[in-house]
Amino acid sequence: MSVPTKKAASKPARKLPLKERYALLTRDLDWEPGYVDREQLFPHTRYEGIKIHDWDGWQDPFRLTVDAYYKYQVEKDKRLYAVLDGFAQSQGHLSLSDASYLNAIKLFIQGVTPLEYAAHRHFAYLARHLEGPAPRFAALCQSVDELRHCQTQIHTISNYNKYYGGFHSWSKMHDRVWYLSVPKSLFDDAMTAGPFEFLISISFSFEYLLTNLLFVPFMSGASFNGDMPTMSFGFSAQSDESRHMTLGLEAIKFLLEQDEGNVPIIQDWIDKWFWRAYRMSALVAGMMDYMLPKPVMSWREAFELYFEEQMLGGLFPDLEYYGIQPPRHVNDAIAEKDHLSHQVYKILHNFSFAAAFTTKTPDEAHMAWLAEQYPDSFDQVYRPVWEKHRKIEADGGRVFFQGLPQLCQVCQVPMAFTEPGNSAQISFRRSTFRDETFHTCSDGCQWIFEREPEKYVQAWLPVHQIYRGNCGGPTVPDVLAWYGIQEGDNGEYTGSPDQLAWAAWHSDGDDKAV
Amino acid sequence: MQYELRYRVLEPRRQTYQNVIDRLGDQPASRYLEATLDVEPTENFHYRPTWAQDRELYDERFSALRLTDPYSYTDPRQYYYTPYVTQRAALHDEFGKTLGYLEARDLLAKLPEAWHTVLTSVVVPLRHYESGAQLVSVSGARFAYGTSLEQCCTFAAFDRIGNAQMLSRAGIAAGGGTAEALKEAKRQWLDGEHLQPLRRLTEEIMVVEDWAEGLLAVDLVDSLVYPLLYQHLDETALLGGAGAYSLVAQHLATWYADQRKWLDALLTCWASDPERGEDNRTALTRIAATWADRARDAVASLTEAIDQALPQAASTTVLGDLADAHATAWTKITGGAA
Ligand SMILES: [Fe+2]
Ligand SMILES: [Fe+2]
Ligand SMILES: [Zn+2]
Repeated sequence: MSVPTKKAASKPARKLPLKERYALLTRDLDWEPGYVDREQLFPHTRYEGIKIHDWDGWQDPFRLTVDAYYKYQVEKDKRLYAVLDGFAQSQGHLSLSDASYLNAIKLFIQGVTPLEYAAHRHFAYLARHLEGPAPRFAALCQSVDELRHCQTQIHTISNYNKYYGGFHSWSKMHDRVWYLSVPKSLFDDAMTAGPFEFLISISFSFEYLLTNLLFVPFMSGASFNGDMPTMSFGFSAQSDESRHMTLGLEAIKFLLEQDEGNVPIIQDWIDKWFWRAYRMSALVAGMMDYMLPKPVMSWREAFELYFEEQMLGGLFPDLEYYGIQPPRHVNDAIAEKDHLSHQVYKILHNFSFAAAFTTKTPDEAHMAWLAEQYPDSFDQVYRPVWEKHRKIEADGGRVFFQGLPQLCQVCQVPMAFTEPGNSAQISFRRSTFRDETFHTCSDGCQWIFEREPEKYVQAWLPVHQIYRGNCGGPTVPDVLAWYGIQEGDNGEYTGSPDQLAWAAWHSDGDDKAV
Repeated sequence: MQYELRYRVLEPRRQTYQNVIDRLGDQPASRYLEATLDVEPTENFHYRPTWAQDRELYDERFSALRLTDPYSYTDPRQYYYTPYVTQRAALHDEFGKTLGYLEARDLLAKLPEAWHTVLTSVVVPLRHYESGAQLVSVSGARFAYGTSLEQCCTFAAFDRIGNAQMLSRAGIAAGGGTAEALKEAKRQWLDGEHLQPLRRLTEEIMVVEDWAEGLLAVDLVDSLVYPLLYQHLDETALLGGAGAYSLVAQHLATWYADQRKWLDALLTCWASDPERGEDNRTALTRIAATWADRARDAVASLTEAIDQALPQAASTTVLGDLADAHATAWTKITGGAA
């Protein structure tokens, strides 16, 4: 054996250029395998049709060594947990705008926190299966970040869970409850795809294209409604998210630059994932416009600013250089921006007897705000609906829809969206696959279905599953018990345990103050 | 608006999340437990993975080693994200201070020649081994069943990059602040005869399908490499005028002591599972039979190189003792199923 004995001449230490030092500490750790086949080592990178000629062409979107990462993150966590502890000790939940605000946070822990976890797990998949060491390392960092988000959210909400309903069984609910199959099926869709499609779906479409419509509204809602913990979490996650966004942007540029043949594949994925994520954002739209006692910004305004202006006006002109067009079906989304949130909240309002949050009919002041935000649709179409509910409720009633809704085979939202340009006509599409008929809610979902019918026929549709007897039994109480919904988690807000406790805590306070 | 009742104690409706209550009763639970138990989805997956069509997205069949209840395993260190990064920030901070001290005095570049040789041709090239171990560990981060276990794999994967970066920074210092020693180390990893058994073994572990088998195969190497290079050689260095080597080695030894905690607990948990224990012990025995001797041979090739430069370290003899002791410990865990 030969061990070289030459010794570096001792000369004054020179500083390596930052970029070179970072490369030495990350991508240079990799080596070309000599004893096993590359294809055996990375078996998943060929079947999607994406061609990569030079993994070294990946530009590191940020340069964070492991020691620096730990240092920053510890500081951020110290600050965050200090806020959480202080809030819990001072019963900070009592200074929220109203207990009904927490319905948004119930939706958040049931619907979003599990997605953070899914992202954590599947960025680990990218950290294993992408062939380039630089994107593998970036994916590893993101995997660890997403675990942070999942866990800090659990801890942020832990204190609310002690005093309010609906938070307690978030992970079981994500696996079982009907409206949560919307976000769950979206991430399942991305994770069951190949590594490159996952990268485009989550890093690009989710983290970059639509993050301001999917994630940020919860954080701004928190800041307007006195929810310091969630707001602090949001701030604390911001620097992680900006890394995730730059990763998404680098990913798409890298894939587009590597081979012209990649362009149509990626265009297809952008088309699919825009619509998929946009349909999920319908739940956020309903939350923004109806669940916040102090609303921040309407869905319509957010859509115009964050999507139409920033993405269609800013990002897509840049992507045109690579031959990428704005997403197919984007005009359908624009056409329904005056209607989306109202239609979704009507569904939630009608079916909240089977949800782990409560709903209520908007009051006069709230309706005035909605009318202002939606001059072309609210008074014309939706105010009459809510007025009808108010009348019934004034007489001591409360309308819930009896029976189960039909779900879209792709997005899994109940089929209650209307035709673009005609808010009186429910939009309903039919496709046939292996002699069976499948229903979708829109041209977008139908197009997605027909691209991969063999995938979407596998969907675990909550309503079908109830009919098949897979959800605890045939009656509503059976299903609710199987969902893990506890007495008073569901239904109408007024008179719910949360509302009654809130009123009692505050009237005691007033007595003392008098 | 301020409320006067803030000083009052409000009666909580429940002390923790329902899944934790179901397992442990309605009592306050640690942040570790709330952030770990039952977080991984368990049912009603929508589609089958295109990259593994006979599996679910989360599926215990990704390994032969299984637990009746995945949460019968918990991390004895109770690491969730925050305590994990807190511990590691401290480790890397200490390492950074050490390295700063060594760099200011150019002490790694000025190591006695034999020690410099061992550092640059045996130890620093292992940054590539760490990188391979990272790839193996992150497979567990994705494919292990249950959050308590995958979380340990996640942290271990990130640790490995940290270890590789510690070794690389030591390499940069040994090269007087240049990339020279790292380039030479990589050439050695790719072509140096003494490193080829380990490189081959690492590559073959990297393609093992069963993530847990890969993880344990790496651990079989670790349990020789770490005690040997970062404990035994550390002691020799102190006696042999190579204090600078010892200063670097101590941090890797600290990491390894931490790594052992969760892995030893896991081995015990697998081997003693009420329903799966017997199958697990059989699998563990098979894994040891497949990889233990190869690990020993690969590391022996390193100790021969070390002995050539530093005969006083008697590394090959120490390796023999370590391997024997390890085989005995392993047999104890598997109940002598071998
Ligand atoms: Fe996140
Ligand atoms: Fe993210
Ligand atoms: Zn749909």
